[in-house]
Amino acid sequence: MMTLTDIIGFTTDENISGRLHDLSHSNDVEYIVLERENTLRKRLRVTGDKGTDCAIALSRDQKLEDGCVLHLDDNRAIVLRMAQEHWLSVKPADSAAAVELGYFAGNLHWRVRFDGDIMLIAIEGPIDFYLGRLQPYLDDGRARVLSDE
Amino acid sequence: MKSEKIFKHTSPARVGIGGPVGSGKTALIEKLIPTLEARGIEVAVVTNDLVTKEDAERLKRSGLIDPDRVRAVETGACPHTAIREDPTLNIQAADDLAAEFPSVGIIIIESGGDNLASTFSLDLVDYWLFVIDTAGGDDIPRKKGPGIIRSDLLVINKIDLAPLVGSDLELMEKDANEVRGDRPMVMTNCATGEGIVAIVNQLSRDVLFDA
Repeated sequence: MMTLTDIIGFTTDENISGRLHDLSHSNDVEYIVLERENTLRKRLRVTGDKGTDCAIALSRDQKLEDGCVLHLDDNRAIVLRMAQEHWLSVKPADSAAAVELGYFAGNLHWRVRFDGDIMLIAIEGPIDFYLGRLQPYLDDGRARVLSDE
Repeated sequence: MKSEKIFKHTSPARVGIGGPVGSGKTALIEKLIPTLEARGIEVAVVTNDLVTKEDAERLKRSGLIDPDRVRAVETGACPHTAIREDPTLNIQAADDLAAEFPSVGIIIIESGGDNLASTFSLDLVDYWLFVIDTAGGDDIPRKKGPGIIRSDLLVINKIDLAPLVGSDLELMEKDANEVRGDRPMVMTNCATGEGIVAIVNQLSRDVLFDA
């Protein structure tokens, strides 16, 4: 287990980017990929993409962000990457359905954003869970799913 | 204490415990405290109740923990608001405990009893458990509430009562595994302590980094 207790800097930092570039030539940059929600944690046990068992324990005033560097020496670096977010695009049939759908999503505490008249629902678990809850809307045509990318 | 050796310069692990009213959250904490302390991990607790300090008073009277290491938050409204939408009061209570007791290795934050939709903000905790019990009905796991699906560790408590209340324990385990995928689950009887070591082992691995 490798303990990581500080955010040293970011991949874009001038004094870090060059060293990361050099280490990448020898394939010595390891990435930890986290879902957005998990970047809020201050302590977590994760496995890097090269198999390193990592114990992250940050102070409460530090925050994991995409591109933060958790370890850097002459032989290796460990960098955090945020996983790509997936959104379920749902289009309500009319304004009445939109109001109802908005209330429904809020009541379930789903994280959403909007693109015109399309509601984008952040997928933070099995997609079947979301589709299951939306099924009554999809069955009677009050809404339809456009994509789940 | 061992707590001081574990990342002394960072703050204690913060672990949430949520679940329905009467599922055994406080009883679980009463078993976790001596088991963690026996491993050298000092404990502090923040309790949440609607309009009383009942759970905090119970822990303070228990003799299991220094009463000064127990803080009560009165949510005054739906318990989930204080652990998810606006966890400020709980963050403040945990910050105070961490500052006053620097040797503490884990701060347990107990939610007030809530429904299956209850979840913790990860701004507040590093890891959270959701406690259900066999007396609540063996259909609870397959109801797929966010607490059951998204918690880091699901605890099915009161396994001794299953035959007495007509709950099928094997079915609960099977359904829980189906809806949770590879997320862990532990069966407990907090009256006897059965299953408590498994929970502490999981915490040691995932947030205390002692295993």
